[in-house]
Amino acid sequence: MELELKRLIVSSLNLEDVSPEEIVSDEPLFGDGGLGLDSIDALELGVALRKTYGIRIETVSDEVRRHFASVAALAAFITEQKEARS
Amino acid sequence: MKPCALIPSRNHWTALPAIIATVRRAGLPILVIDDGSDEPAASALAALHDPDAGVTVTRLPVNQGKGVAVATGFRLAAASGFTHAVQIDADGQHDLDALPRLLAAAEADPDALVSGAPLYDDSIPTGRKIGRWITHLWVFVETLSFRISDSMCGFRVYPLAACLALLDREPVGRRMDFDTDIMVRLFWRGIAPVMVPVKVTYPPGNLSNFAIVADNLRISWMHTRLVTAMLWRLPTILLHRPPRPAAHWAGLGERGALWGLALVAAAYRLLGRRACAAAIAPIVLYFYLSGTEQRRASLDYLGRVLGRPARFADGFRHFRDFAGRALDAFAAWSGAIPPAAMEIATPETLAEAAATRRGALLVVSHHGNAELSRALMDPDLRARLTILVHTSHAENYNRLLARHHGDAPSRTIQVAEIGPDTAILLRERIEQGEWVAIAGDRVPVLSHGRVSRVPFLGAMAEFSHGPWLLAALLDCPVYLLFCRRIGDGRWSLSLEPFAQRIVLPRGRRTEALTEPAARYAARLEAECRAAPTQWYNFFSFWAGKTDR
Repeated sequence: MELELKRLIVSSLNLEDVSPEEIVSDEPLFGDGGLGLDSIDALELGVALRKTYGIRIETVSDEVRRHFASVAALAAFITEQKEARS
Repeated sequence: MKPCALIPSRNHWTALPAIIATVRRAGLPILVIDDGSDEPAASALAALHDPDAGVTVTRLPVNQGKGVAVATGFRLAAASGFTHAVQIDADGQHDLDALPRLLAAAEADPDALVSGAPLYDDSIPTGRKIGRWITHLWVFVETLSFRISDSMCGFRVYPLAACLALLDREPVGRRMDFDTDIMVRLFWRGIAPVMVPVKVTYPPGNLSNFAIVADNLRISWMHTRLVTAMLWRLPTILLHRPPRPAAHWAGLGERGALWGLALVAAAYRLLGRRACAAAIAPIVLYFYLSGTEQRRASLDYLGRVLGRPARFADGFRHFRDFAGRALDAFAAWSGAIPPAAMEIATPETLAEAAATRRGALLVVSHHGNAELSRALMDPDLRARLTILVHTSHAENYNRLLARHHGDAPSRTIQVAEIGPDTAILLRERIEQGEWVAIAGDRVPVLSHGRVSRVPFLGAMAEFSHGPWLLAALLDCPVYLLFCRRIGDGRWSLSLEPFAQRIVLPRGRRTEALTEPAARYAARLEAECRAAPTQWYNFFSFWAGKTDR
């Protein structure tokens, strides 16, 4: 799951100089340190997640930002969303 | 907030069990005031009394009028510890599905008077309709404002403390004049009206307690009283004007009411544009004089674009053109302007864009009359259009247009910020060959507060990143659309290719968003110089505040 997410992050955001394997699951995705993504990336990523996993994200709120904090947090969020729907 | 429902009734009882059941489901205790009903209504109303189930019926032995019944209910409700009373008419004409929306609005603004603004279906009798228009006009004069768009709807959430304070001090109409009278007087005391659209049906075979002659006379007398009182108390009334919900332009409201425009569209057809423009000049003058904030913004802008201090008359022309724009758009929607009145300045681009099945982003502006191009465009093209709007007001306007125009005047989506869901929806539309339209000269909607400061009319001004961010997300070509009036009843439409696509390389995003913003501002500036009085942003554009 986490590797799958890393691949999705790299492909949807066109991260040319990063390979999926290099992303550390617990490292922050946004801001300084880690991948250093910004709010436009968050939007793009939200679109990709919606298409791939069907999770609904209406706006990039603070709550969503928490789920987007790292690959590990994101994986937990998606699992939780999937369970809620099934 | 602790609300209860208040239902005054005179001889109405058949609809009550259904109303009571619905209101109880919403969790509100109910006070029914029987305003001296005759039999069999009196017994039927008394039979509804069931305090254990939350329904209390109080009878006034002699009929005293709706106003007295409601005021009695206010006192009973306040004595029982309620803070708000939701007035509901007993004849079942109100759509109770709107009740949660009314309560939510009151919850959001507990000091306000939340009132239904009826959207009537065709069952309203013509006489009542005309009577309503006349009252609307009076109320606009009495409040020196367009904020009360309907003063006669009895479906309201009253803040009890403010109402009782008013009733203790001022004479408020005791009968059918009550609804309007109390609303205007509350407005004078600084109680803001919050209008919530509700559906209203005149039930078949409805026995109205409205006495055509007596109640119309009573209402005329009420307006005479109100206008006199307004003039007499003008300074205090102006001092207590209810604050607007927000100073942001979205809260300023597009000034001008739709019903008036419907009337104007008919006149446009009969008398022509010039005569109509002359007819609305006094109204324009009134707004020019009373809209201090807008007038100041207008003169500031005109000074910049004209390169000399703007005179009083320049500002008036600006306001007049703004009113004319609404006039023209409405006339176009009602078919009073032939499509030939629109010259196409860029026929090749338009033909090319129409021929390709590829979707695009159209960035429009508040210059000229983009609305008119929508009204006059080929219906096939119009069907491809999705318009992004920022306010529920614009959405209501569109819904009314749809009713007025017959076929749907193209889709609108209300968005304040672009989230993943909106982005996906719009992307799908673009993939299906649709055009998405957005205005580029309003800050800071759709942009998470992101703006670029770029040169505009000789000074730096903030332009939203919204359109360019959206273009990058949608990954589609971008066109600019301008439509300006070039004479009496003639317009010129220009559709211009702006960018094949907008890419935002990581690390250089601010620059990549500033470039199109600057180019757009420069193009808009040229348009403003070509027709100075046709740019309609009546707020302080150079203020440099992003938090507004």
